[in-house]
Amino acid sequence: MNDPNTRFGAEPTFLKAWDDYATACQTLFERFGDPAAKRAAPLPLPFFGAWQDFAKSLGMPSDAAGASATPQEMLAGFLPSLGVSREYQEIAQRMLELGARFQRHCAEFMQQGVDIGQQAMEAIQKQSANDASLLSSTSAYYDAWIDCAEQAYAQAAHSDQFAVLLAELCNIMSAFKVERGKLLEALARQLDWPSRAEVDSLHHQVRDLMAAARPARPRSRKPRKPAGQ
Amino acid sequence: MTAAADLFARFLQDAEAMREQSRAALRALRELGEVKVGASEKTCVYAEHKVQLYRYVPLARSAKLPPLLICYAMVNRPYMLDLQPDRSLIRELLFLGLDVYLIDWGYPDGADRFTPLDEYICGYLGRCVEFILKSNGISALNLLGVCQGGTMSLCYTALEPQGVANLITMVSPVDFKTPENLLSKWAQHIDIDLLTQSGNVSGEFLNLVYLALMPFRLTQQKYVNLLQLQGDRAQLENFMRMEKWIFDSPDQPARAFREFVQWFFQENRLVQGALVLDARPVSLKNVTCPVLNIYAANDHLVPPSASIPLGAHIGSEDYVALQVDVGHIGMYVSGKARKSVPATIARWLGERRPLN
Repeated sequence: MNDPNTRFGAEPTFLKAWDDYATACQTLFERFGDPAAKRAAPLPLPFFGAWQDFAKSLGMPSDAAGASATPQEMLAGFLPSLGVSREYQEIAQRMLELGARFQRHCAEFMQQGVDIGQQAMEAIQKQSANDASLLSSTSAYYDAWIDCAEQAYAQAAHSDQFAVLLAELCNIMSAFKVERGKLLEALARQLDWPSRAEVDSLHHQVRDLMAAARPARPRSRKPRKPAGQ
Repeated sequence: MTAAADLFARFLQDAEAMREQSRAALRALRELGEVKVGASEKTCVYAEHKVQLYRYVPLARSAKLPPLLICYAMVNRPYMLDLQPDRSLIRELLFLGLDVYLIDWGYPDGADRFTPLDEYICGYLGRCVEFILKSNGISALNLLGVCQGGTMSLCYTALEPQGVANLITMVSPVDFKTPENLLSKWAQHIDIDLLTQSGNVSGEFLNLVYLALMPFRLTQQKYVNLLQLQGDRAQLENFMRMEKWIFDSPDQPARAFREFVQWFFQENRLVQGALVLDARPVSLKNVTCPVLNIYAANDHLVPPSASIPLGAHIGSEDYVALQVDVGHIGMYVSGKARKSVPATIARWLGERRPLN
């Protein structure tokens, strides 16, 4: 018989996490179906916590702790940017920094998603406790779940915290694209491909030519008189 | 049997039924092929770069009203207004004897990234208006602006009031900073210069933003409901037409998009009287023609609070607001809107027929 404390006998982490997740699901299910349990204290329900543990056990960090490496830590192995390629090294470093920042904010954003899910679960539990007819149809129950989820989401989505975080993710991605564009610009020059700057320059020239060729726009400045005047 | 076991048994029963429904729906979906969108016959009468002006072939005796030019949003494709024969605002307007024109902004690409917003409003839209006026030998037309196109139409009318006899705005935002406006809340912290620095804003990005407004309904529930259609071909085709339209979002020309987001969403210049287009101040007080403002009570994209303030900002003394009990998209395709909106538009225009 295997000793559970030995390396080979111990339960793999992901199996343990899966068991916890399955147990959380089962508890939830029993609570919904058992009138006595409905009267019990509100769920502490570590439902999504169990899911997070399971994801983490598979090597998918889904919280801030999983993405805590700072750009300084990530870049510690690099020499300071020097020499003829200094500018490109700096671009690459900025992209790394942006990548790390994105991961941190993304983890925070995912955590908000987990919180929203948790609130929605609590809401549907409360609703099903008050309305037994919900449990008579899977379809009705599903629709009620969607309503609860949208309600919880809307509440979060209207908050400043959510808006700031979403914007920050967008801004980081935009900055990343700008840096990536700089590298591609350099590459295009080296390969004698048309570069973005070159095409932009042509666009401006075409626009100038079109503006010069077009007759001046007729403008009417007099508004119609309001009715009855 | 315990309550939990009973519930579980019922769940299994429902799951089995759903599996059968899903099979039928998925089989029918696979056989569906490409759906056709656009129901009414039309001719391109004017084109400039990617912008096309269409005139629809009449379907009834003329109501003898000035032509109605529809200015749709740039962020979606205009065929939503003529999706299929039994879901077409345009078709209903044609049956009521209106002479309908439509601006199609096309699919902007990299060549349009530096085109400013005023070029779309005063330039392309202005030249479409001029074309219609000239080809019909008239001095003013009726303008129907839809969604963002309504905001653009308002700006145009404020700048060129002589050419617009009557203005209709439909699900159009005017006050961009109201508490219910989720898109606006999200837009406040976006670095729009940075976003557009790398070129046009992709339609895919916009799609994700729209989905994020109601993610559970739009990415889960509607597909679950689709499976419940049990292979009803007509309903599946309706669904797929809508699906095609929803994800057929054109890329947004970088400069025009940046200006729209900054000036309207972030700075709310339109209602503050601080908007300048084509080097001219845009004052809504210059909108003195009759205005019909149609908005949707359950609009999650343009909440009623964004549209309702219009009446307080324009100079017109002939202002009518119409609330329809639908959502944003329901305004174009729902049976409820189809019954009331086209007839209201035709009647309202008929009552404001020019004297000549």
